Amino acid sequence: MSRAATPKLGAYAGLAGVGLLAALVLGRAELAVLAAPFALVLFFGLALSEAPDVRVDLEIDRERQVEGEEVNASLEVRTHLPVPRLELLVSLPDGLESDAPNPVLIALDLDERRELEVPLRCEHWGAYLVGQVFVRAQDRFGLLAYERSYDLRRPLKVYPRGEGLDKLLRPLQTLSFAGSQTTGTRGEGIEFADLRPFAPGDRIRRINWRATARRGEPWVNETHPERNTDVVIFLDTFAEARSGAGSTLDLAVQAAGSLAAHYIRAKDRVGLVAFGGVLNWLTVSGGVTQLYRVLDSLLDAEIFLSYAWKEIEILPRRTLPPHALVVALSPLLDERSVRALIDLRARGFDLAVVEISPVPFVEPGPDELDKLAYRLWLLRRDALRASYLRVGVPVVEWRQGDPLQAALEEVRTFRRHARVTRA
Amino acid sequence: MLRASPGVHRGLLLAVAAPVPVVLLVGLALRWSAALTGAIILLGAQQAVRLALGTDVLDEWAPLVGGALLLCAELAWWSIEPRVPAWSQPRLALWRLTSVLLMCLLGAGVGAAMLVAAGSSLSGGVPLELAGILAATGAVAILAHVARRSP
Repeated sequence: MSRAATPKLGAYAGLAGVGLLAALVLGRAELAVLAAPFALVLFFGLALSEAPDVRVDLEIDRERQVEGEEVNASLEVRTHLPVPRLELLVSLPDGLESDAPNPVLIALDLDERRELEVPLRCEHWGAYLVGQVFVRAQDRFGLLAYERSYDLRRPLKVYPRGEGLDKLLRPLQTLSFAGSQTTGTRGEGIEFADLRPFAPGDRIRRINWRATARRGEPWVNETHPERNTDVVIFLDTFAEARSGAGSTLDLAVQAAGSLAAHYIRAKDRVGLVAFGGVLNWLTVSGGVTQLYRVLDSLLDAEIFLSYAWKEIEILPRRTLPPHALVVALSPLLDERSVRALIDLRARGFDLAVVEISPVPFVEPGPDELDKLAYRLWLLRRDALRASYLRVGVPVVEWRQGDPLQAALEEVRTFRRHARVTRA
Repeated sequence: MLRASPGVHRGLLLAVAAPVPVVLLVGLALRWSAALTGAIILLGAQQAVRLALGTDVLDEWAPLVGGALLLCAELAWWSIEPRVPAWSQPRLALWRLTSVLLMCLLGAGVGAAMLVAAGSSLSGGVPLELAGILAATGAVAILAHVARRSP
């Protein structure tokens, strides 16, 4: 523990010194007598002070939590010597808040063990290390302060709070494994597709008895098989628009988390590409493990300023399976991501773009020139969206506060009515 | 020794002590340690002026005044400390008050012993004065050395 003098020590030393010097200058012993009690306190305080033996331990009740929820941190303090005043501060990273008093001031008796509950509110998604604890103790005379920091950092992952989605985007092509996506082909499934005459080899239970009775010969039901699909979430991390505590990256991460969770629950395989200053990817896979991999990767998503030109070729082939549905979440602010998405479409990928609108995060400037520039910027964004629509890429503007489901419905409507062209 | 008429004497003492309540209140309100130090120094300065303008006879009340100054300082610094919930327990507050009173009494006792020693017939002279200066300086230096921050 490092030791430092408190203001009281300086004050008492000053009083004792001034009293002694005044006694010498004025030749009056009484002034030294006035200073004697202060010198006595200094003597006993410094002679009897010893560094307190304080042990601190921090535990968090869980390692993973969702944005907006709480975790409980338990701070255990032990000492072998009495500590009349002990200040404890748990250093919290940005994104975690606590309503409990922090720092907290306690007094400890001989061989006392105290447990303090520090509820933490997870305000923002991210990967945190919680537990740098600063301790300051004073001796019984209040003359010396002992300080120490304890590095007890515990990992805490706060996942983005997802949004409930009723319907997901349907891919143009599916895989051959069982899933929840109804395909356009005919096979073993649940959803009724068509009727046809009985052919040798058909199962008896597939016979549609009403149609058979009407036609006088056996007819069978045909169904659409349910298959799974590959979905790649393409996250643009080149640039973001930020205003206050919110940003387009926050919205994109929340949307990506929701989509990943729902697609994996529907037995689809999900992959992730974070395309930006720092490239990060996860190959498609399914299951709960993959969901946590995706969510953990999203926690690392951040805007990393880079001027290097990047194109799609730098991504490993296996990150973008040929028949995968690519759902891009982008504010369309950076030219590199805009071109990369058009490049994806040109290569024949099944692409849908959810534009995380930066408009709510941008305020026009005060003068007329700024307002004109703002209007021009909006027009350029409209032109960009039109260029995507011309090549058959559905682009939907999604603003903060609007449900993601509404944006997905717009994409579904576009894909239902658009004629898909292939490169 | 300086000599002054009783009226000037009283006026001077009042002038030195008049700012004390204000400075003390400022220190307590703002939790400002330097203001509390200033208030105690002014009270001590008032005693110094009183002794300088008074007679050469040793003031037998000086140990009690010293103890009272210490009590005033301890209570003042206690007032500006951040509150520890434990100190709201009467037992602990009483324990601390008792400790402070005991320390003040001990300080007054040491002061009384110093006064007795100062009143003895031991002749001084330059060597004794030099020893006193060195002792006082050494005491302050030792205190500063002990109080310095350790790594």
